[in-house]
Amino acid sequence: MSAQPLPKDEVLATTTRKLPPPEKPSDVRRRSHVILSFWLIVLLLGLPIWWRTTTIYRADLPLQDMLDWADGKACRPVFPLRISIQATSFQDQEAQNLLRLTQHALDDLNDFAGHHLRLQLSDEEQESADNGSALTIRLTPGEGTTATLDPYEPILDITYPPNTIPSPTASSSPLATYIASQLRTTFAEEQATISYLLSTNSMPSEHRPLGLSPETTESLAKRTTRSVKYAPTYHLTFSLFTSGPLPSSWDIEGAIEEYMKPVLEVLSPIHNFTIDTQVQLYASPGVQNQVLNKEDLSSFINAAEWPLSPSIGGAPTINFIVFVGNQTITNPSQESATSQSWLIPQWGTVYLLSLPDDTTHVTAATLKQPLLTFTSHLLSLTGTPESGSLPLRLSTLARIRSADLLLRASSTLGSLARLAMALPSISIPSSVADGVTKTMSHLRLACDNLGGTEGLAHARIAEAEAERAFFEKSMVGQLYFPDEHKIAVYLPLLGPVAVPLVMGLINEIKAWRKRRREKAEKGAEKKEQ
Amino acid sequence: MRQLFCFVLLSWISFASLLPPAFAAAADYHEQLVLRPLPLSALLASFNFRSNTSLSEFEAHNFRFFPRSLGQILQHAGTQELHLRFSLGRWDSEAWGARPWGGAREGGTGVELWAWLQAATDEEADHKWLTLTNALSGLFCASLNFIDGTRTTRPVMSFQPEGDHLNTTAADTHLLYGVLPHEVVCTENLTPFLKLLPCKGKAGIATLLDGHKLFDASWQSMAIDVKPVCPVGGECVLQIELTIDMVLDIDRSKRPRDNPIPRPPPGHELPCNTSKPYHSHDTCFPTDHQANQDWTLSQIFGRTMKGTCPLTDPTVPPVCLQVPDSRSVYHSDGVLEKKNLDRVSRCFEIKPDVDFEIVLPAPEDESAILVKPETPLLYAERSFTGHGQERGGVQTILRNPSPDTEVEFIYMESLPWFMRIYLHTMSARIQGHTTKDKSLIKEVYYRPAVDRARGTQLEVRMRVPPASTVFLTYDFEKSILRYTEYPPDANRGFDVAAAVITILSPAAYNLRTTSLLCSLPTPDFSMPYNVIIFTSTAIALAFGGMFNILVRRFVAADEGPEVGLAVLKKRIKERVGVLVQKFKGKGQKAEDKMVEVGRMVENPGVGEQT
Repeated sequence: MSAQPLPKDEVLATTTRKLPPPEKPSDVRRRSHVILSFWLIVLLLGLPIWWRTTTIYRADLPLQDMLDWADGKACRPVFPLRISIQATSFQDQEAQNLLRLTQHALDDLNDFAGHHLRLQLSDEEQESADNGSALTIRLTPGEGTTATLDPYEPILDITYPPNTIPSPTASSSPLATYIASQLRTTFAEEQATISYLLSTNSMPSEHRPLGLSPETTESLAKRTTRSVKYAPTYHLTFSLFTSGPLPSSWDIEGAIEEYMKPVLEVLSPIHNFTIDTQVQLYASPGVQNQVLNKEDLSSFINAAEWPLSPSIGGAPTINFIVFVGNQTITNPSQESATSQSWLIPQWGTVYLLSLPDDTTHVTAATLKQPLLTFTSHLLSLTGTPESGSLPLRLSTLARIRSADLLLRASSTLGSLARLAMALPSISIPSSVADGVTKTMSHLRLACDNLGGTEGLAHARIAEAEAERAFFEKSMVGQLYFPDEHKIAVYLPLLGPVAVPLVMGLINEIKAWRKRRREKAEKGAEKKEQ
Repeated sequence: MRQLFCFVLLSWISFASLLPPAFAAAADYHEQLVLRPLPLSALLASFNFRSNTSLSEFEAHNFRFFPRSLGQILQHAGTQELHLRFSLGRWDSEAWGARPWGGAREGGTGVELWAWLQAATDEEADHKWLTLTNALSGLFCASLNFIDGTRTTRPVMSFQPEGDHLNTTAADTHLLYGVLPHEVVCTENLTPFLKLLPCKGKAGIATLLDGHKLFDASWQSMAIDVKPVCPVGGECVLQIELTIDMVLDIDRSKRPRDNPIPRPPPGHELPCNTSKPYHSHDTCFPTDHQANQDWTLSQIFGRTMKGTCPLTDPTVPPVCLQVPDSRSVYHSDGVLEKKNLDRVSRCFEIKPDVDFEIVLPAPEDESAILVKPETPLLYAERSFTGHGQERGGVQTILRNPSPDTEVEFIYMESLPWFMRIYLHTMSARIQGHTTKDKSLIKEVYYRPAVDRARGTQLEVRMRVPPASTVFLTYDFEKSILRYTEYPPDANRGFDVAAAVITILSPAAYNLRTTSLLCSLPTPDFSMPYNVIIFTSTAIALAFGGMFNILVRRFVAADEGPEVGLAVLKKRIKERVGVLVQKFKGKGQKAEDKMVEVGRMVENPGVGEQT
């Protein structure tokens, strides 16, 4: 080197560095193997483990089938109602002809495919219940053409003048038309209710009848919102409220036994009931007015102070309140008329009972009117139709309820499917998938047996299973990790580890490309030589 | 002799509501308020409401005096007997003497619940217990649903059923006991309590119950007891007894509600102890025991009592006052005063619809202001000993004041699982002796804790000889919790439930110690992120070092590529030069040059100098 130091740049430029000795090919190969094996471990072991431990378990749901149920594509609700005709006084041929003509007339009148009345002849005398027919028509000769519903049995008594029996060859008959129109009026409410239910749920339009007038729809909507959600058991709570110290006891047990039990027994195939009663003194109502108008009624129940907590044990509670007081209710439609009770949709009934001031004990006889009111309100709270004889109303109730449950379970399935699609990060445990499978199998069974008691049972199970699947606890608390949190957890580990790995790989690829180029150059040189 | 006579009568009065079942079943509903002035300007007010319903009516779900909301919970959970306590404060037994109801109607600080459930197996009992606690939690707006497995024990010796269980066998009846010492009892617990009464808070003695006064008390306890009572030859009834006991500070209660800030009284109004030698016009030794014994009902409770509940048993006077007969008491019209035979209590019969008010003027006779408080059978104090964050100890001081009677009792602790007690360190010794006395502890029932599943249950049957003080001590170790198990206010400490002392002889009496606050080692809660960063750094360092050793080639310092600032500078210069060239020179030439320079700059090998 020269004595005088040169500028640094020149030093760097001019110094020749020693080259390292050439590497052994085995070392180069080993380095490639090391890098390759690290990357293989990362890709084949690390990534799958990470994927497996952080992924969210989602059981397979038959999403398309579920949506089909919700859209009404999977089930076409059909209520085939068999109606027996008891025509003992007819000759066989005549009876067959009457049946054919009536069926024709019925089919002409009917505009709703889902609700289908099918007539059949019954030969034996007593068969009304066990052959599954919804109604029996008993034809008896008489003076004029009359039709009356039997109040205790599902029987329609029709009398006819003997001369109106259609001849075997006749193509039309006034009697057949009459019977058909009678049947139609009998089942008109049921038809309307079911078609209303179908129309409010997203059923395809071809199943939907168009014959509902806006007024009918409105009244049906009112009735449906009024009725309590279906449950196999209802708790009935009878409460005596009084704003003062008296009366402090009542003979509610006897009154229920006498005035309400018969109806509860009739309802027992569809619902079970448990009853409790209570007396509450010094319970002042939320409204102190002497005359209550419509707005007061909604705030009359003093929810903060009256102990009306719902019963525990799952089943819904229906409250029946007798309030001792001389308040009256004005009816806006009839100025002079006053009433004593009102129904609170999906909750119960309040009855204002006016008693002398010194009454200490309310007798069963005094409770007759309140309990009769409660009974009729109970029927409308359970959703029983308003027209027809009681047995017919109850069988209609069973059919309406099964349709309702079926539709509700279907729509729950649809909601579950949409939820599963909308939230990709929600976990779906296998119990939900089980619930969905069970729901669908019971829905299928219910759909095939609509109109019968089996259908109701299956629809009930399907609805319960669907609700359970939808409200699965572990699905409610969704796992949520914000991205910032993930970065904070992953970066400190992955950053320092990934940098040497990636740099090593890049350098190795560069070296490999360089080696290849050198090889190629050498090969070219050899060729030239 | 006279003192003994007083004692007997007084205890008869105190236990008046624990009457024999045959008498208790006579009326369907009764309520009574007992007022007892205590030393240090305190006043004990004991409210007692009791209603009966026949078991057949109860099973038919017909509720009249029995609250339906509670009734259906009991039916749903298969409960045969239920005891629920909400308590606040400390009973000062040194000053106030024996507890009301013999301690049978009070609980430790917080909420206590014990019940006899009908169940075939232990699992079924646990399930029903869960149902019961959850339902009661909703009914009383309390956190009873937090009584889980770790806070539930099954006492063996301490609790005995109060009711008559006729047609049940011991095998299918399970006693479960749960306690929440941390629960703060508040007005929201009183409102549902009042709703359970047939007359609500609208008539009778319940009109005096006001959340502001109740929770301002020095000590208060709300109790609900449900038990079946079967009188001889009569129908079994289910009895619900609601009790509220409170010790009000008369001084504090008399402060005006709109201006509750305490102010010192003027000097001439101070009650001074004139017997002191240094007493003069400018020095005063205050007499506290007798002060402030003039009060009226409306001053104490903020309102007068509105009539009587019309459902109540007319033979039971609604209000009783325990002051000596010589003291004059004024009352409002329509009230009949009846002095009892014991000469230390009087009762008032009130007409319905009459506002009831009593006035106790400042007494003339200093000696006959108060009924002397009854001495309790046992005094108990419990405190923590030990040192540091890890080792702790518990010491309970039990003092028997009686000069001639030995007291035998069961001492029960239900401790949280994170207090791991060492049973071998448990010892009892009499004050004055240094060695432990083995004859003091007669029987021990111990059920060790299981981490995160159940707490420690310790029941000790022991005795305290007459006129002596016994120290019961044991050591424990504090465990470290997982970080999610700490409450938000972790540094406050963890409440340890009161010890329950059930005296077996010479008479039935209950007392509870105060609850304790145990501080556990509390970590820094940013710890998880620190741990993540720290371990990640360690792993990254280890991995990086190992990886580099494996893949890098080691050469001599002068053989490797140039490193250092100078090299970097040169490279940057070259790059800038290339860029300048690129902008100046157009076309293919410049690009060619750039490629050339780029190749020159490129580091040719993987090996680097380390």
